[in-house]
Amino acid sequence: MPDSGMLRRARSLAALVGILILAIVTSPTASDGSRIFLQAGNLTDILRQISLIGILSLSMTYVILTGGIDLSVGSILALSTAVTAMFLTRGYTTHIGVAILTAVLASAAVGALNGVVIAATRIQPFIVTLASMIGVRGLAKWLTSNQNIDIGFGRDLAAEFASIFREKAIVIGAYACAAALFWVVLARTVFGRHVRAVGDNEKAAEYAGLPIRTTKIWVYTLSGLFSGLAGVLYAAENHQGNPNAGVAYELDAIAAVVIGGTRLSGGKGSISGTIVGTLIMGVLTNMLRLNNVDSNVEMMIKAVIIVLAVAVQRERN
Amino acid sequence: MRVLTTAGLAAASVAAAGLTAMMLLAGCGGESKTKQYVVAFSQANNAEPYRAAQNAFMTQLFGAQPDVKLVISDAQQDNSKQVAQVETFIRQKPDLLIVAPNERAALTAVMGQAMEAKIPVICLERDILQPNYTSYVHSDNVAIGRLAGQFIVDHLTKKYGKPAGNVVAMRGLLGVEGEINRDRGAKEVFDKYPGIQIVADPVADWIQAKAKDRMTEVLRARPKIDVVYGHNDPMAIGAYLAAKELGREKEMVFVGVDGLGGAAGGIRKVMDGILAATFVYPLCVDKAVEIGNRILHEPGFRPEKGYVLEAVMVTPENAAQLYEKFTTKAMQ
Repeated sequence: MPDSGMLRRARSLAALVGILILAIVTSPTASDGSRIFLQAGNLTDILRQISLIGILSLSMTYVILTGGIDLSVGSILALSTAVTAMFLTRGYTTHIGVAILTAVLASAAVGALNGVVIAATRIQPFIVTLASMIGVRGLAKWLTSNQNIDIGFGRDLAAEFASIFREKAIVIGAYACAAALFWVVLARTVFGRHVRAVGDNEKAAEYAGLPIRTTKIWVYTLSGLFSGLAGVLYAAENHQGNPNAGVAYELDAIAAVVIGGTRLSGGKGSISGTIVGTLIMGVLTNMLRLNNVDSNVEMMIKAVIIVLAVAVQRERN
Repeated sequence: MRVLTTAGLAAASVAAAGLTAMMLLAGCGGESKTKQYVVAFSQANNAEPYRAAQNAFMTQLFGAQPDVKLVISDAQQDNSKQVAQVETFIRQKPDLLIVAPNERAALTAVMGQAMEAKIPVICLERDILQPNYTSYVHSDNVAIGRLAGQFIVDHLTKKYGKPAGNVVAMRGLLGVEGEINRDRGAKEVFDKYPGIQIVADPVADWIQAKAKDRMTEVLRARPKIDVVYGHNDPMAIGAYLAAKELGREKEMVFVGVDGLGGAAGGIRKVMDGILAATFVYPLCVDKAVEIGNRILHEPGFRPEKGYVLEAVMVTPENAAQLYEKFTTKAMQ
C-alpha cells in the first residue's frame, strides 16, 4: 500500500503542474511572439515575490505540525524591518551584519517568548500568538513613533544594505536555503520526529517521554527567527523599516501550508507540500495578473483554489 | 476509492481551469485594426474613497477613447504587493504606466526599472524618493492646510470680532505625508493668532467611525468648541455625528478636506449644511490622463517633470456648481 503522505504530495504536485500548464497556455505573448509567463525574468519575479511568504510558511509548517498556530509572524516581520532600518540609519552600528543580527535575534526572542508562554501555561497557541500579534505590532509602532524609516538610495550603510539584500539571487537564495534546512531537519533529525510526534498525539508523546515543552519552545523560536529574517529582506526590498508591514501575512503563510496538505490539527504534513502550496499561490497570482484579471475576481478565484486544493487532499477513511 | 479521488481532483481542476479560462478570454475581446494602446495603472489601495474615485474617473476618461485599453491593479495598501504588480506590468510592456505609490521608498526602485524598460511612467499624487518617472502629477497638502487654516481664522473673526476660539484638529494616520502637511499648513496660520487654541488633536486614522468615538471623548472633556478641522471629510463628518448625538452640533462648525463628488463625498455634505467648508484635494487624474494621451499620441511630446494642481475651496455658495463638476458618472 502506497504511503498516504506520498499520495497527498503527488496530488498537490499535480495541482501545481495543472496551474503551470494553464499559466503557459493563457500567457499573453510579448512583441517577439514569446510567452511572457515563460520569460526568465518573469519566472524569477515569481520566485522572488513568493520568497517572504515562503520563508514564513516553512516555519509555520513546523508550528502547525505540532498542533499549534502562529498569528504573530506578520507583526514580528514588521518589528524586524523597523529594527533593521533603525540600526542602519541612526548610526547605532557601522556594520550591516550587526543590524541584521540584532533584528533577527530580537525576532527570535519574541518567538521564544511565545513558545515559553505556550509551553508553560498551556494557554492555546491561537490566543498567545494573537496577543503577541497585537503587542508586537504596538512595539514596532512605538519604537518608530508610527513613522516609516526610509532607507535612501545614496552611498551610506543603509543604501548599501538595501542594494545587496534586494538582489533577486539573494532573496531567492535565502528562501531556497531555508527550505532545504527545514526539509532536512524535519525528515532526518530527532528534532523533526519530535515535531511530528507532538502534534500527532501529544498524550502518547508525553508518555513516551518526548521533550514536548522544549520542542514547542523551539518551533516558536524558529518561527520568530525566520519571520525576522523575512523582515530583513522586506526592509531591503522596500527600502524602509515599516511598522505597518506584513499585515495579514500570517494568513497567507497558513494558506500556503494548508494548500500544501499539512493537517491544521497537526501531526501530518511536509515541507515539500508547503513549498508546492507556496508555488501554487505564486504562479496563480502571476497568471491572473499577467492576464489583467480584476483583483477582486483574483481573490474569489484564490478562495476557490484553497478549498479545492484542501478538498482533494483530504484523507479518506 | 483512490481512483475516485484522483478523478475528483481531475474534474475539479478542469472546472477551475475552465472558469479561469473563461474569465481570461472575456478580457481579450476582438482585435481592432487601429493601433491599440495599453495603459497600466497601479493603484495603492482601492478601499480608500479618494482612490476609488481616482479609478472611476480614470476609467471614465480613458473609456471614452476606443484606442486605449486601461488596466488597473489594486495593491491593497501593501508595498510588496504593489512592487510585484508593477513588476508584472513591466513584463507586459504597456504603452504607459501610471503609478499611485503606496509609500515613497518602497516603489522607487521598481519604478526605476520601468523607466529602464523604456516605459513612460506617470507618478500620481504621492512622491517617491528619486525622480524615477516621466512626469509627476500632484497637489500640495501644505497649501491646503493653509487654506483651511485661513478659512477657520476668517470664520472665528466673523464670529467673535477677533481671531480667537477653540479648535479641535482631527488627525489622520500619523506619519503619512497628507496628515503631516495638512496639519502643518493649518498650524502655520494659527500660530500667527495667539487667541486661537487647538484644545484637542485626537488621532482617528482617516476613519469616520473612529473620529466619532474620539470626538465624543473630546466633547465630554471640552465645554466649548468653535471649530473642528478634520484632515479629511469622513473624520469631519464623524465628529459632526458625535456632536449631533450630544446635541451640540450647532455650537461649532466642521471643516474637512478631500471634497470628493458623489452622494457620499464631502461636497454633498457642504450642500447639506453638515460641513462649513471642504477643500478639493485634486484627484490628479484628469491632468495625468491629458499628459498620458499626449505621450501616447504625440511622438515628440516631452512633459514637464512635475505638475502641481491647485486645491479648490468648497463653501455653500459654490458647492452645487462644484458638485456637478467633481461627480463622475460612476458615482451617480
